[in-house]
Amino acid sequence: MGALVYIAKRFGLYLAVLFIGLSITFLLPRLMPINPVDGYIGQIQSRANGALSAEAIAELRENLENLYGLKGNLFTQYVDYMKRIVFSFDFGPSFTYFPQPVSQMLMAALPWTLSLLLTATVIAWTLGNLVGLVAGYFHKKKAASILEFVGILLYPIPYYILAVTVLLLLAYVFPVFPLSATFPVGQMSWEKVGMIIYNSLLPGITLVLAGFGWNILSMKALAVATTEEPYVIYARLKGASNWTRMTRYVFRNALLPQVTALALSLGMVFNGALLTEMIFSYPGIGLVMRAAATGGDYNVLYGAITISIIAVATAGLVIDLLYPLLDPRIRHK
Amino acid sequence: MISIKDLQVSYRLGTRTIHAVDGVTLDIPDGCIVGIAGESGCGKSTLMKAIYGDITSPMHLSRGSITYGLKSAKGRQVTAQNIREEWFKSISYVPQSSMNSLNPVIRIREQFIDFPGTDSNKKRVLERARAYMGKLGLPPEAMDSYPHQLSGGMRQRMMIGLATFFQPELIIADEPTTALDVVVQKDILMLLMELQEEMKNTILVVSHDMGVHYQVTHKMLIMYAGRVVEYGDTDSVFSDPQHPYTKMLIDSLPTIGDDSMRGLMASAAGASGDRAYRVEPILHEVKPGHFVAQVAAAPVAQSVGA
Repeated sequence: MGALVYIAKRFGLYLAVLFIGLSITFLLPRLMPINPVDGYIGQIQSRANGALSAEAIAELRENLENLYGLKGNLFTQYVDYMKRIVFSFDFGPSFTYFPQPVSQMLMAALPWTLSLLLTATVIAWTLGNLVGLVAGYFHKKKAASILEFVGILLYPIPYYILAVTVLLLLAYVFPVFPLSATFPVGQMSWEKVGMIIYNSLLPGITLVLAGFGWNILSMKALAVATTEEPYVIYARLKGASNWTRMTRYVFRNALLPQVTALALSLGMVFNGALLTEMIFSYPGIGLVMRAAATGGDYNVLYGAITISIIAVATAGLVIDLLYPLLDPRIRHK
Repeated sequence: MISIKDLQVSYRLGTRTIHAVDGVTLDIPDGCIVGIAGESGCGKSTLMKAIYGDITSPMHLSRGSITYGLKSAKGRQVTAQNIREEWFKSISYVPQSSMNSLNPVIRIREQFIDFPGTDSNKKRVLERARAYMGKLGLPPEAMDSYPHQLSGGMRQRMMIGLATFFQPELIIADEPTTALDVVVQKDILMLLMELQEEMKNTILVVSHDMGVHYQVTHKMLIMYAGRVVEYGDTDSVFSDPQHPYTKMLIDSLPTIGDDSMRGLMASAAGASGDRAYRVEPILHEVKPGHFVAQVAAAPVAQSVGA
């Protein structure tokens, strides 16, 4: 019963965060002194060399305001905006790729980003934590410092250098993977899926390597601190095996902050990995956002920001619902 | 009987070697509670670690020997080499920090069976442990809780329970009541004494609290600078301490209505001989900004607060 109340409360908070986030997204651009409709009309008028009549301009303005949800006062705009997003997830059409709806563009790019980044993040987290755990648990042994060295080596390399190096090594020096990958779209077949997985391996490897180092280092530091905890020392004096102490004592306790880190980084995944997508010409949401930012495509940006807000808030919700399962101290009665 | 001969335990720190226990020879008879007292850094804990067989770098036995008059379950003689296999079988340990010596994220019952104990049938162990809770003054459900759901006193009962459950012949308790309030301290000590009375095992209790030693122990061991300075029956040590350090330790016990500390300070101060003291000295400034409580008999220039 208590658990249900907790979940209900937490879910209420989640909705409140989404509501506030969406409201700020609505409000911020409207506080700017620029009116995109004016800008657009100005562009068209200059293209038509000022040949448009006043009626035509008024009609154009009317249509544009309807299309982009800029009609009426701030309050009616706000209600309209919320209705459209909540009920139909509609951000209007893209400016650049008019009249393609923004939600369609985002939904086409999201699966690409999610499948690559979620997989890479989870793999990097799992491997990094396992290596970090062993490095931290056996930190007094010399051999374990080799594991830590892997983390120290990988962590400070800027991603673009890492990615280009891996690309050069595995696609040029040893041509295991294609130098310039193609990602088929449209109707999926097994053959196409196989090709996508094969072509995604290279960007995946670079993402895993980039996330791996940080996970090793942070888990190692947590594990070293945990091995000094009285309960781990006591477990040793009870005669508990190294395996029991490492998994049930050190890992279970050092894992808690790492789970938070994982959930937060999963929330960030929705923003895409711009550099990865650029270097490997991967059709993810990062590229869509980049095009929107450089082309002034407001609607696409709103859509992307909204997805980002939903993702981070959802990640927070998941941690809060998951945490009581991992740590009995914060379990709600 | 545990017999320690000329034991030297050292810590190697770079090129320096520190002998934390230096030439201890000792016989601990079976079935008695031995209290170990001494200031911080005197080698108490190192001696306990050596007896428990928890010798990890940089600590090592540089001289001497420990002979345990113990037999393992398989009838093998317990020696300093195989003592680790006897942990929580014939020798057990009560840690100092009961508050966080239990793993916070797993249930206590799991912590009764996650080490190679005397019985490999985990289910049977748990059933017996559940029945044992009553003896510890804990409800059987305490086994199923997480450590944070128990109070500090309950947790320390649990630690005593874990240490005594397998009926070891030797228990080492390193300051078992340090973090507890006085009332709970007494309960825990009574519990320990009761269980010892019943099982007749040997218990080594390290404590800074001379009151604890006086109440609980049969024999007292006083250590100073890595050596044993006095060892004997508790009554005899308390009533007739021989070593000056033992005398000071016992005198440090405050007694209600006892003015001896005041007398001791007065006589110690009086021993310097250059100033006169009386019961109510006044603060005087001996150097600018440096005050001392002193009687006005000596040549004092100015007084404070006057």
